[in-house]
Amino acid sequence: MLRYAWVVPALPLVGAAVNLFFGKKLDRWAGVLASALMLAAFAVALAVLADLLALPAEEQLHVQHLFDWFTVGNLQVAANLRVDPLSITMMLVVTGVGAVIHVYSIGYMDGDPRYGRFFSYMNLFCFFMLALVMAESFLFLYLGWEGVGLCSYLLIGFWFERPAAASAAKKAFVVTRIGDTFMLIGIVLVFLRLGSLEFSRVLVEPGSLAGPQRPSGVYTIIALLLFAGAVGKSAQIPLHTWLPDAMEGPTPVSALIHAATMVTAGVYLVARTHVLFEISGVALTVVLVVGLLTALYAATCALGQDDIKRVLAYSTISQLGYMFFALGLRAYAAAIFLLVTHAFYKALMFLSAGSVMHGLEGEIDLKKMGALRRAMPVTAAMFSIGALAIAGVPPFSGFFSKDQILEMANRAGYTLAWAVALVAAFVSALYIARLIFLAFFGQDRTERRSHESPPVMTIPLAILAVGAIFGGLLGLSAATGRLHVFLGPVLGEVEEHTRGLPAAILTILSVSVAVAAILVGWFVYGSGRIDWLALRVRLAGLHRFLAHGWYVDEVYSTGLVAPAKAGSAFLAYVVDSRWIDGAVNAVGQLFQWGALAGRRVQTGLVRNYGLAFLIGVVAVFVYVGFRL
Amino acid sequence: MRTPISYFVALSAILFAIGTVGVLVRKNALVIFMSVELQLNAVNLALVAFSRMHGNLTGQVLAFLSMVVAAAEVVVGLAIIVNVYRRLHSANVDDASLLRW
Amino acid sequence: MAPDHIVFWVFAPISVGSAVAVLVQRNAVHSALFLIVNFFTLAVFYLVLGAPFLFAVQIIVYAGAIMVLFLFVIMLLGVDRDESLVERLRGQRPMAILLGLGLAAEVFVTVRASIGLARGPADFDQVVNEGGNAEALSRVLFRDYFLPFEVTSILLIVAAVAAMVLAQERERARTRAEAEAFQVAGPGGGVRT
Repeated sequence: MLRYAWVVPALPLVGAAVNLFFGKKLDRWAGVLASALMLAAFAVALAVLADLLALPAEEQLHVQHLFDWFTVGNLQVAANLRVDPLSITMMLVVTGVGAVIHVYSIGYMDGDPRYGRFFSYMNLFCFFMLALVMAESFLFLYLGWEGVGLCSYLLIGFWFERPAAASAAKKAFVVTRIGDTFMLIGIVLVFLRLGSLEFSRVLVEPGSLAGPQRPSGVYTIIALLLFAGAVGKSAQIPLHTWLPDAMEGPTPVSALIHAATMVTAGVYLVARTHVLFEISGVALTVVLVVGLLTALYAATCALGQDDIKRVLAYSTISQLGYMFFALGLRAYAAAIFLLVTHAFYKALMFLSAGSVMHGLEGEIDLKKMGALRRAMPVTAAMFSIGALAIAGVPPFSGFFSKDQILEMANRAGYTLAWAVALVAAFVSALYIARLIFLAFFGQDRTERRSHESPPVMTIPLAILAVGAIFGGLLGLSAATGRLHVFLGPVLGEVEEHTRGLPAAILTILSVSVAVAAILVGWFVYGSGRIDWLALRVRLAGLHRFLAHGWYVDEVYSTGLVAPAKAGSAFLAYVVDSRWIDGAVNAVGQLFQWGALAGRRVQTGLVRNYGLAFLIGVVAVFVYVGFRL
Repeated sequence: MRTPISYFVALSAILFAIGTVGVLVRKNALVIFMSVELQLNAVNLALVAFSRMHGNLTGQVLAFLSMVVAAAEVVVGLAIIVNVYRRLHSANVDDASLLRW
Repeated sequence: MAPDHIVFWVFAPISVGSAVAVLVQRNAVHSALFLIVNFFTLAVFYLVLGAPFLFAVQIIVYAGAIMVLFLFVIMLLGVDRDESLVERLRGQRPMAILLGLGLAAEVFVTVRASIGLARGPADFDQVVNEGGNAEALSRVLFRDYFLPFEVTSILLIVAAVAAMVLAQERERARTRAEAEAFQVAGPGGGVRT
């Protein structure tokens, strides 16, 4: 089956093409087709996994040459596929969670006039994401990278009649573009300095690479440039501003792209190229700091949001920050483990939020919800499962993934970082508790009738919930978890740390932090003892600060966007309209002026013409006279 | 005859120049026409003078025919001027400037 | 002092003076009269130069017919009224005078170069005008220059016909008011086309 790994991306590509051309005719079957293809892809991926597991651990790598693309000078570009533990993990996440979300969308997007187009875009996205994770060279990774960016734009702006959606799509594209440009420079540098774009050649053990010919400075630059791309795609500070606005898109889009897969591409990239980061210690530190700060920042912002989806968006940013934090700690397998569990519980929560919105006919404001657990019990239960996972309450999957990272931080000696991460964990649990209590408990503040969602939407929720609950089994411990061992050959062996506090104490600390946060949340938002609306009014300044994401968007707007717009306006209206057009028009005017001046010769008066005659006659006489 | 022929030719030139100036300076169409006649006559004078100089009658014949043609031309020219006057109600040459820009 | 000297130096200034007067007069009739004076002087010159026939023809045709025609038209159109001598076109007058002087100067120069002080054959009247100027002229005209003579006569006929055609009163576009007035008053004089 390994030889047929290419089928996995091919299936959604076929689906995209079919739905693009025949979507209108297929009508409701478009969704079924797309989902069926994704399920088939998942099945094939499982078969590939089986084949891969059959090989001994050191040989679990399959590179397959598909076709030659082009050759320019020293650069030979060929389409090669790479199947190794890391890529197969990603493939399974994409196809598995993707399939579930496709099925959910059959019900959620029912009745939309562009139903077929939606599924075409979703399948296209899955194709590009699979191309990204199965790429054997930087160039094809970049191809997938850009492709998912395109699909993200198309899907965020799916309801493009709404100006907010169109703007959000544009913003997402532009902001990630900034990161992508740096990444492209990094890829070019890889080729120039390291001689090749193929992973097998470039990403080998550090020992054989660093040396007098290639000082670590080059690696630092390359690693930082690649990380810049990851910052854009994975919405880390400072390129995170697009993700909260991207919630304008349909909820399945938010679940698939902005929770489970596309935003994790950055994490995948760093994990894949971790060798480069390790040679340059600076880059790893940068990754760690950025990830940690983002985790804390986004968690605080989530606390101030009233829109269900924006809470989840900031939550995603925060969790991605955790993943990068883990990468910075050299706990690559732990980061990937968090990626997998996060895919489950975040997708679960997004889809549940979609279910809530569907049940409330489109309401998104938390202030207008409350006590929904009576009207939508299944959804409430699913959402709560996801919430417990994200808060890090055992035995849900989120506990294992988050706890590992905290433990590794402390035991590797990064005590300050561990403390900050712990605070962030508290805030994370707090905001999710707030969400749950405001939406599903307390007083009923709804203004619309609410009802539970149909099975085609609740069954996928249940499937994801299973993953959220039992996902922890994949990685019970950082050292010996199944996933970690599986990823070992690719991501390196996990170091045993012995500093810091004992593991048991750390575990108790992180659990108590989570429980404490949930209690605080219940007290403030769920028990009714505190009027949280009045509290908000009293802390209005702080609330506004958090709600606007620490005003980062406003800073960008005045500091970057406004000057750029002013510059463009200058170029458009002054340089182009006045100078360039003016110069061209001036040429025309010149001729007109010449003609205007010239026609004055035609006075229509005989006497003037007679004078002209005479001048000519005299001139001829003079000429003849001189000749004689 | 003891007067040098060139005197007559010089006189003819002066008359011709005066006629030219008259064409350009005056505004009344009839006066302009008269200046043209002046020019023609100046030329006739020159022709007759040359005839004397060369000792044959060609110049005189030419002058004679020139007079005939001048007569015919005056007739037609005056008819045209009358016609134009009927349209413009003015014999001022400057008023006939319809071909102006 | 030979007689032709005196004649020349008396009539030349008159000739030039009357020519200038033609230019300068405000009244068109006065210009015409001065032109007639000029023609007379020219006739005298023809006589002195040995062309008595032309002397007669000049007076009869030019002064007698052409200028009379001119005067007819001036009086018919009534344009003898004083014309404003203010020159509206800038530079026309100075330019014209300058160029006129230049023209005359050039002719002088050319003439001096080639003619010099030639006086013509002394026996002009005896040899060339043998049998009288009219007979000699007719000999040349009807023998050597017969074709131009015939062509010129055709020209005369054509000119006469042209003048008749041009001078007719034509139908011209009328406004309705004019047309009604015309109906009431009846067709006026003049030949219709």
